[in-house]
Amino acid sequence: MAINLVKGQTIDLRKNDKGEEFDLSTVTVGLGWDVRQKKSEGGFFGKLFGGDKKEGEYDLDAVAMLLDSNGKVANLGRSVQTRDGRSMGLYESDVVFFNSMKHPSGHIWLTGDNRTGAGDGDDEQIIIKLDQLDQRYDKILFMVTIYQGRTNNQHFGMIENAFIRAVDRNGKEIARFSLSGDSTYNGMCSMTFAEIYRKDGAWKFRALGNPHQSDSFIDELKKLTYS
Amino acid sequence: MAINLQKGQRIDIGLSSISVGLGWEPNEGTSAAFDLDASAFMIDDNRLIPEEGFFVFYGNVDSPDSALHHTGDDPTGGNSDGGDDETIMVDLTKVDPRVKEILFVVTIHDAIARRQNFGQVRDSYIRIVDNANSQEIAKYELGEDFSIETGVEFGRLYVKEGKWKFEASGKGYKEDLSFFLSKYFKGQIIK
Repeated sequence: MAINLVKGQTIDLRKNDKGEEFDLSTVTVGLGWDVRQKKSEGGFFGKLFGGDKKEGEYDLDAVAMLLDSNGKVANLGRSVQTRDGRSMGLYESDVVFFNSMKHPSGHIWLTGDNRTGAGDGDDEQIIIKLDQLDQRYDKILFMVTIYQGRTNNQHFGMIENAFIRAVDRNGKEIARFSLSGDSTYNGMCSMTFAEIYRKDGAWKFRALGNPHQSDSFIDELKKLTYS
Repeated sequence: MAINLQKGQRIDIGLSSISVGLGWEPNEGTSAAFDLDASAFMIDDNRLIPEEGFFVFYGNVDSPDSALHHTGDDPTGGNSDGGDDETIMVDLTKVDPRVKEILFVVTIHDAIARRQNFGQVRDSYIRIVDNANSQEIAKYELGEDFSIETGVEFGRLYVKEGKWKFEASGKGYKEDLSFFLSKYFKGQIIK
């Protein structure tokens, strides 16, 4: 368990600390990270005997969970069969993630799954039409996980320039939360990054940055279900 | 009729509803704003917070028992001209039975990076007010009493024979909020 003393991250989404107004009909939550430039180790032989995942490549995934007024994820969707016969859960649920990229309401979706962090700016985006969102949703929780991080011995302490930000409909940045790889995050493979929640008839954004050791969002989700 | 507290002075709080108010004036210079924070630790017999929610600060404005409410963060001292900029409201009738003491601290946010201490802040004080009649019960002038420090343990409310009492401690530290938190919470602290 952790207490976060990081400050200045809670803002009323209608205006920021400069009093600027935002068009909140649509908010984009962008997740970005860079591949860490590691000092070359082992040269030619290191490359020869290296794993199949290139050194310094991480697959970060953005996840959004829609919570009701009890702080629970009400709709866990259904299981579907993939083409290769595997069973895939949470399809069309209140969780938006790489296997269920569009929420059934159509008002929140993930733009795509970037598997390496290549490229500047947002590597993955979740788009939320806040003005369309059903009243039964009270909070949206955003997580980021390192896909198979435990298997690949990867953690947030190694990742550079990771950030989450919220941008309004006109592309104006509402809030940004930077997270450079520091020792606090050593061994941590997932993180509750931020939440957007209703308060006094308006939406607010709060950066949290609570790290967890698990490399899957399922462990956090289990705490947020009715069953 | 304010009483300026002597260190160690005790005051019987024969009341159930009080406010701890923190006030200061904005920085008129060109350097960074002064961002003072009022926080409260509701601690049990082990001198630890029973749950994370019993640490009331800018990031958690209501204790789980609804006994404490923090009015929210003022990052500059601009909320009020001459009055309280941050207030922690205390309803002693609602305090969770596990909580035996409530400690109040004031810290300067980011003081090291901004090279700040209480001596530079204009008209900063912390005080206890009786909500029934808005009378000031006790007050510290931070800038005069703790000029080179960045954190102050203001005082504590504690239960004795079923009654809440207040004891002023007035200890200054060159420390930040995480230092105080680490005394009363053994979990992870994200700074």
